[in-house]
Amino acid sequence: MLLALPGCRQSPDPSQGRVVVEYWEKWTGFEADAMRAVVDDFNASQNRIYVDYTSTSQIDRKLMLATAGGVPPDLAGIYSSRLPVYAENNALMPLDKMAADAGITRDRYIDIFWQMSMHRGHLWCLPSTPSCTALIWNKKMFRDAGLDPEKPPRTIAELEQDNQKLIKRRPDGSLQSIGYIPEVPGYWDPLWGYFFGGSLWNGRDAITATDPGNVAALQWIASYPKRFGVHDLLTFCDGFGSLASPQNPFFNGRVAMIMDGVWDYNFIKNYAPANFEWGVAPFPSADPVTLKDVTIVEMDGLVIPAGAKHPKEAFDFIQYVNTQKPMEKLCLLQRKFSPLRECSAQFYRDHPNPCIATFVKLAKSPNARPVPPLAMWMQYQNDMMNAVNRVWTGKAQPEQALERVQERDSQAFARTQARWHRLAPLLTAEWSKQP
Amino acid sequence: MNAREHNRWVSPAVLAVLIIIGVAFLAPFAWMISTSLKPLNETMTLPPHWLPSHPQWRNYPDAIAGMGDFWRYAANTLYLCVLCVIGTVASSALAAYGFSRIEWKGRDQLFLVLLGTMMIPFPVIMVPIFTLFRNLGWIGSFKPIWVPAFFAGAFNVFLLRQFFFGLPRDISEAARIDGCSEFQIFMWVVLPLCRPALLVVALFQFMFTWNDFLGPLIYLTRQDHFTLALGLQSFQSQNGGTEWHFLMAASTLVVLPVLILFFFTQRSFIEGIAVTGGKN
Amino acid sequence: MTKAEQRNLRNGLFFISPWLIGFLALCVYPLASSLWFSLCDYSALSPAVFTGAANYRSLLTDGVFWKALYNTFYFAAFSIPLSLLISLTLAILLNFDIPGRGILRTVFFLPSLVPMVCLAVLWQWMLNGELGLVNNTLKPIFGVLNYLFGSHLQPPDWLLDARYAKWGIIFASLWGVGNAVVIYLAGLQDVPRFLYESADIDGAGFWRKTWHITLPIISPTIYFNVIMAVIGSFQVFAVPYVMTNGTDGPDRSLLFLATYLFENAFDYFNMGYACAIGAALFLVIVVLTYAATKLSESHIYYAGK
Repeated sequence: MLLALPGCRQSPDPSQGRVVVEYWEKWTGFEADAMRAVVDDFNASQNRIYVDYTSTSQIDRKLMLATAGGVPPDLAGIYSSRLPVYAENNALMPLDKMAADAGITRDRYIDIFWQMSMHRGHLWCLPSTPSCTALIWNKKMFRDAGLDPEKPPRTIAELEQDNQKLIKRRPDGSLQSIGYIPEVPGYWDPLWGYFFGGSLWNGRDAITATDPGNVAALQWIASYPKRFGVHDLLTFCDGFGSLASPQNPFFNGRVAMIMDGVWDYNFIKNYAPANFEWGVAPFPSADPVTLKDVTIVEMDGLVIPAGAKHPKEAFDFIQYVNTQKPMEKLCLLQRKFSPLRECSAQFYRDHPNPCIATFVKLAKSPNARPVPPLAMWMQYQNDMMNAVNRVWTGKAQPEQALERVQERDSQAFARTQARWHRLAPLLTAEWSKQP
Repeated sequence: MNAREHNRWVSPAVLAVLIIIGVAFLAPFAWMISTSLKPLNETMTLPPHWLPSHPQWRNYPDAIAGMGDFWRYAANTLYLCVLCVIGTVASSALAAYGFSRIEWKGRDQLFLVLLGTMMIPFPVIMVPIFTLFRNLGWIGSFKPIWVPAFFAGAFNVFLLRQFFFGLPRDISEAARIDGCSEFQIFMWVVLPLCRPALLVVALFQFMFTWNDFLGPLIYLTRQDHFTLALGLQSFQSQNGGTEWHFLMAASTLVVLPVLILFFFTQRSFIEGIAVTGGKN
Repeated sequence: MTKAEQRNLRNGLFFISPWLIGFLALCVYPLASSLWFSLCDYSALSPAVFTGAANYRSLLTDGVFWKALYNTFYFAAFSIPLSLLISLTLAILLNFDIPGRGILRTVFFLPSLVPMVCLAVLWQWMLNGELGLVNNTLKPIFGVLNYLFGSHLQPPDWLLDARYAKWGIIFASLWGVGNAVVIYLAGLQDVPRFLYESADIDGAGFWRKTWHITLPIISPTIYFNVIMAVIGSFQVFAVPYVMTNGTDGPDRSLLFLATYLFENAFDYFNMGYACAIGAALFLVIVVLTYAATKLSESHIYYAGK
């Protein structure tokens, strides 16, 4: 009897005979709840489709296996940086035709987010929530160091000048606090070149790890262990508590400036002291004229895996999410900004993050840049991170570290290119027969 | 073994040593429980505090609520555990018997093959196995998790075979002379003697299934099929920070049943592995 | 083949049939596919394309693979003997007739019950350079040593320092020796009392009894645990993976073979290459297990044989 229990217990079917769209999402916690609210709205708004929403960890792995096994969900939420590898390996359904039929075009979106949804000339996803990075600084620490709390640095040189003034040492000479340190939070190590005019590939047929901009960025990174000593720097960093705690070095006054995504607000709200004074500005770059408002953009996208049973119904939901009201609800609940060009004044009024407009401005900047759209990006990223770490710990010179990446990942790039050229005729033929 | 040890100081000394090491073993666990009673902003503080300022007993009901359908997950987990335990015990005992108490041509070579199967890294065979289950139409059901348990896991066969070897030959021979078939000997002579050993296999399997994360992650697609280990993930948020206090409270709840189970069975569990025939 | 032999063969095959069926379906078939894939360019999402030994050739020149292999050997070389020593010692101590034995046994087994995610998170905290319990325990000890010998010992930043990161994982894995302890304890129940009694009459001390009676008799158990440790340590994956959030640790010091395999299969979509890594890993484990079996053959004692 026990054996029959969970397997056979009939739960009341909430779909009531409607077409069930199986939707896997990577979010958990309040972010998952935000999307759940939108799903509930959608399910209540009509009686033809029922979206069955499951939030699951390690969605990448799960989605890949399920798609390879031919039993994918109808809809999934993934990071846009994963689009190229999924698309080139035949894991996704192109959305061009369905989007065109629904009248969804690029002018509905902040430019970069539409670009990020495209790969190899096809549309693969539509945004759910976007993000971008900015400088966030502690005004009180600026004031205490005799700096203008309303004047954040605009160039890397200014950043380092302020940094110098913000350094405090303990009586024994060890670091007490610092103005800026690239390792906090350390999420974007492979992309520092963007702030020095660098690129990670040439847009066509080669990766460019050794681009002068990337070298300049790593030289900047290398200046830290040179200035402070590897051991002292590591000891200083190891004293940082978890980012999701009041011991976050930015909240307890050990670091005055950080670069972080729009979600940093959630951390501030949960863990920073009540009187924490902070501001948001574009992160400094090497040159304020040619490199104005540089930001790293990221996006969560809704995709339809290849082999999905109900692509049309899944797209109906994507279309619903990509209209102004549901999108604003989702982004507001996740405390992000809307990827849509049109955004209501109400959204800004209701938004708990007082600096949300700065993030929107950055996302619209011509220097808003995502990770390179490469199928081998994950490996490239790991290797770049390793290079930065080696430079950071004084184990390698910037040029030498980047050359190693260039060599290793050129091979990986050649492999993915070869695979693409082999599959392309087949895939493009298939993609042209879109539903 | 040293019940007859004459030195009076040995027992207290051993106890002292064990308590010191035991404290080291317990420390992380104690921290888990203490964190489970802290408010969020007291987790991960510097310097670390062993005791929460005010124990937050509410974290437990909140963690249960935050996990989604906790009781449903618990029922699913239990269901899988029961099926897996039955399957493993039955099939492993059969196979271990065949590998130890009957002499046949090629047995020891085949046993080496069985050992070899343990050395296959799971990710290597994950995709073909997934495809196999997909072709059987099992993805999204509990079957990929419990059906393989009925095909004798190598670890358990190995474990049981060691015990079976320890049983003296003569007990089977005597039964064989009495005209028992091999299966009768297995059922009525050997199995009763190693009931405690089977308990070990059962308990190991139970704990494995209880904590298994990868299997449920890959094969279960519907939220109402989730297990407790899978439910624990709901406290790790990508951009909002992990809710440590809830994660620890839920983990404590997940560990507790197995802990109690072990505490009450450890005696027979351990003594069960003893090869009964070897003791005089 | 005599009639008895035939009957035994039939019986033997009948008894092992559950395993045999599972073996064919869940091992032979997937393994054969996997071997085939290791000779292909394969993403798992499109049909595999035969590329001959290309993946294996790449392995030979892939520095990251060799790093992972080195890390895995390093981890195994320390964690296997240490866990053998610690679990055996604990088991012998726990076998003394002491009050609270049941509770103590449970205490040492407890870590094996903690879910993996939780265990990794706990150890992240334990090994933190400044806040961690490990360093806060080491600090006073090092302080005394420094005072006595004028040295300048500092507890390391475990997970941030490539030189010590693997030791952090080794410690975390030693915390989970409970499984082995329980199996040794079980083995110890097999040692017949009368052997100790006659040894007592001969005036043998604890060490001699351990060396000449206990260890030989539990040798099958030791063999079992060593084999399990070899297999387990070469497949080490979950704890370092969760502890480093999948970043392989500083300077890839926590990149193990199984991690690299996973990365290739699921992050890079190089299932073919992942299968080649798997084949290498499999080969290493088989060779080591075979060596362990050969080495121990003359030292194992079975009561029933």
